[in-house]
Parts: sequence; structure tokens; C-alpha cells
Amino acid sequence: MSRVRLIETTLLILFGLLLAAATVNDVTRQTHVNQRLIDDLRTWRAYTHHDYHNLSIEQTLFGERSQREVVCGNTTPGAPKSRIQVCLAIWGPVVDSKRVVHGGWYLPTGTEEDLRRHRYGCFGPASRGICPTAAEAAAEHRSTSAGARA
Amino acid sequence: MPRSPQISGWLGHLGGERLGYRVFLIAILAASVAYGVLLALLRAHTYNASLTRWAIGLVALLNLVVFAGPILISTDVFSYLAYARMGVVHGIDPYTHGPVAIVGDPVFYYVGHDWLHVATAYGPVYTLLSYPLGALGLVGGLWGMKLYALLASAATLALTWSVARRRGHDRVFALLAVGANPLYVIYGLGGAHNDLIMLALMMVAVAFTLSDRDAAAGATVVVGALVKATVAVLLPFMVLARRRSAAVYGALGALGLCALAGWLAFGVHGIDVVSALSRDSAFVSTDSFPNELAHLFGKPGVFPVDHDLLKAALVLIVIHLLWRTWRGYDWVAASGWALLAISVTSTWLLAWYILWPLPLAVITRDRRLLVATLFVQALFIAHQTSPLFAPVS
Repeated sequence: MSRVRLIETTLLILFGLLLAAATVNDVTRQTHVNQRLIDDLRTWRAYTHHDYHNLSIEQTLFGERSQREVVCGNTTPGAPKSRIQVCLAIWGPVVDSKRVVHGGWYLPTGTEEDLRRHRYGCFGPASRGICPTAAEAAAEHRSTSAGARA
Repeated sequence: MPRSPQISGWLGHLGGERLGYRVFLIAILAASVAYGVLLALLRAHTYNASLTRWAIGLVALLNLVVFAGPILISTDVFSYLAYARMGVVHGIDPYTHGPVAIVGDPVFYYVGHDWLHVATAYGPVYTLLSYPLGALGLVGGLWGMKLYALLASAATLALTWSVARRRGHDRVFALLAVGANPLYVIYGLGGAHNDLIMLALMMVAVAFTLSDRDAAAGATVVVGALVKATVAVLLPFMVLARRRSAAVYGALGALGLCALAGWLAFGVHGIDVVSALSRDSAFVSTDSFPNELAHLFGKPGVFPVDHDLLKAALVLIVIHLLWRTWRGYDWVAASGWALLAISVTSTWLLAWYILWPLPLAVITRDRRLLVATLFVQALFIAHQTSPLFAPVS
């Protein structure tokens, strides 16, 4: 059985090395992602001139691996999401610890989730195809009004 | 710390400040290093009575401090309580509805967002065990859950001590390797996870085999599996190694009785453990090793085909372990390897899952199991540390 044990131990060591490499790689990758997110938050604060800390970051709107983020935060002081929010679509290389804002949109007071139908006041190229069309916005407004009456 | 009712507000009088994630990470790293040094020192230390008292005192202190404190890291305990309150207070079957069915209940606010629509995945024995706590209100139920975890932890540690002695191992080392383990204390006990109840029943089953009570051992494994299904993996190794039919009869008897109780209490959904397992095995957590390996090989994450490959790998490992057990390998070690393989190949890995093999690892002669278990735990902790290098705020 010692030969079996030797093979098992060899395989265990090799697999352990693989797991260790995967872990180190993932920590490094996540650290880079975190650094990018820090730059995105800094970009939002610089763009809006608000030094708010309760900001939300959406990383998947433009694709899982796009490295394009959407950062949302209040336009006036208040609890998170309790005010009108401005969302900025941010991507590109880091220059002076900041990235480039390619557009954005607003969300009404009390909006928990950044859904297409909630967006308005869209601006910049990033909002193309992301924001509702005029017809969709009108339909949303009608359904909201009907809901309010009911 | 997860959002939680103030159950340990009186500790605030001792001073200090709210625990941030960064401080928590530094503390868990320090605790892990201290744990490693402790185990290394124990290896070089000779056994004596004062060391025994010191070890028991340390483990008791750790358990009691965490018991007295707030819920740590996970919201799972609020899900347990929500399922209990669904059944007891609201008359809703937790096997067919998620906590979203009790939006107005005080516990709903604390349930993790990902689990609001998810029906319970736990076995009927656990659900029935949790029902009395559902009637105690939010804070009373929470303390009840913490008490269950503490008692289960005490039973696991006592049995680890006893079984280590009976199998000729260093019982002090065994006690400290489990009872002072940072993942066991902080994540397992701190989160009041029902995995501790499963571990206690697992150790009861091992203890029964040492007394040649195979029927009771088989029955206990089944009861444990109807708390949390994973522990069922012990049964084939036990049966194969013991080569006695009593364990099979005991298991079948317990399965029949518990299934009947589950069916009477919850209907067919209460005994359909397979569906719940299939559903949960499709989840992916960022800390799982398959997810890390996918990133290493340049993939964005785990794909459905990977789930099939992982299941195939797990089956091969279990078959190899069964063959080894048949050829005389320690069935307890084989069971521990199988539990470790389940956690490593799972795409949904949480800290308390890598506790499963630990009590078995300290009562086997094959030291590779303990080294592998602690290595996997160390990798898990290391994987948490990226916020230390680039804190997002």
C-alpha cells in the first residue's frame, strides 16, 4: 500500500500547489479590482464635487469582464438612496488616480435598484441603449400614474 | 457583522468600538497565526495535568466569549429562525416557501437578501428541532439558536476528546486543534451554524462504532444527514470498514422513522433532500476553489459543464476512498477525506463547510488529512485578505 500512499501524497501536493496558485492569483486579481473601484469612487466624488461615502457600484451592467463600472450616489446629503441619485458610467485607463466618465443618468428618490425603467436625465454616450426610450418612459409614467390612482 | 437585533448590547459597556471588516481580517489573521503556533508547541510539549486544565479552560473560554457576543459574519441563523417562525407562527411550510412569505415578521428584516426567496435546504430533523425556538420571538429564538450551537460545540469537543483518547491519540492536541480553530470558533460558533449539530451527531456515530454499537452508529449518521445531508457520506465507509449489517439496519430504521416524521410534519417536500441539494449545488460563491481555479485559467467563473466535471471528480475520489477502505484504510480518515473533497469541489463554499473534516482529522493516524484540512482553511483565510491590500470605501 506504500506505493498507493506515495502516489496519493504526490497528487495531494500537486493539487495543493494548484490551489495555492489559484488563491494567490485570485487575491491579486481582487486587489486590482478593488484598486479600480477605489479609483471609480474617487472619480464619482471629483465629478459630482460631493465627498459622500455611501456609494453603490455596479460591475456587471456593461458585461462581467468589461471593467466598466457604474457608480451611483445621492445628489444631496441624506441616507443612502433616500435622495435623487446620479449614476456615472466610468471606464478607461487610470489617470491621476481617476478614470473617465462616459455618461450617466439619474434615479428617482427611494430607488433601490438601478433598473432601466427608473433611469431619466440620461447623458453621454454610455447611456445609449441603457436608458429607456421616450416611448418607454411615457409608458412607465402612465403605469406609475395608474398605480398611484389605484 | 451582519445586520442583527441588539442581543449583546451590554458588552458595549466594556468599551471599544464597532468592529470593521478590516480590523476583523487582521484579528482573524492574528488568531490563525496564534493557532498555528499553538499546535506546533503542542507537538513538542509533553502531556501533563496542568496542560490539560489549561487546554480545557482556553477552549471553554473561547466558546463562552463567542456565545455571549453578537452574531458574526453570516445571516444564516436568521434564515433558520425565519423557517422556524414560518412553520410555528405563520403556518407556512418552509419547504415550499422562502422567508419572503413572512414579510411582516420581525425576523424577515435580518434574513440575507440572497435567501429571501429560497425554501429551506435543511433536513426535517433540524427543522423540527428549530420549531420550538420559533415560538420564542426574535431575540429569544436567536439566543436559542446560539444555545443550540454552544451545546453542539460542547458535545463535538467532548466527543473529540473522548474518541481521540480511545483511539490512542493525543486528546489535548485533538481538543485544541478543533476547539481553538479560528474558523470553528469565529465562523462556526459565532454564526450559530447548524453545521455544529451535524458535527456533534457525526462524532456520536464515530463514538458508537468504538463501542461496537453499529446499529446506533448507522442510525445516528442518518439523523445527522437529516439535519444537514453532507454527513451521509460517512455511512458507506462505516459499513464497508465494519463489514457488519447492523449499521445498515440501523440506518434504514432511522431513515424510515425520520422520513415518516418528516412526511407527517411537512409532506413530501420535507423528505425530498435530493432536490434541495441539487438546487444548492448550482450556486457559486466567490470563495469557492472551483471559482478561483476558473479565474486562474482565464475564465470569468464556473460554467454548467464545470459542475459536471466537479461531480465526476468527486465521484472518482469517493470510489478511490471506498476501495482504500475495503483494503483496510481507516474508515474515519476516508470519511474525512470525502468531506474535505466535497468542500473543495463545491462551487458554493463557506467557511463553516471546511470545518466538516476537522474533528475526524484529529482522531485519525493519517496526519495528511489534518495537514490538508488546515492547509485548505489557511487558503480560505488568505483569500479573504484582498480588502487589506486595497480597502474600498
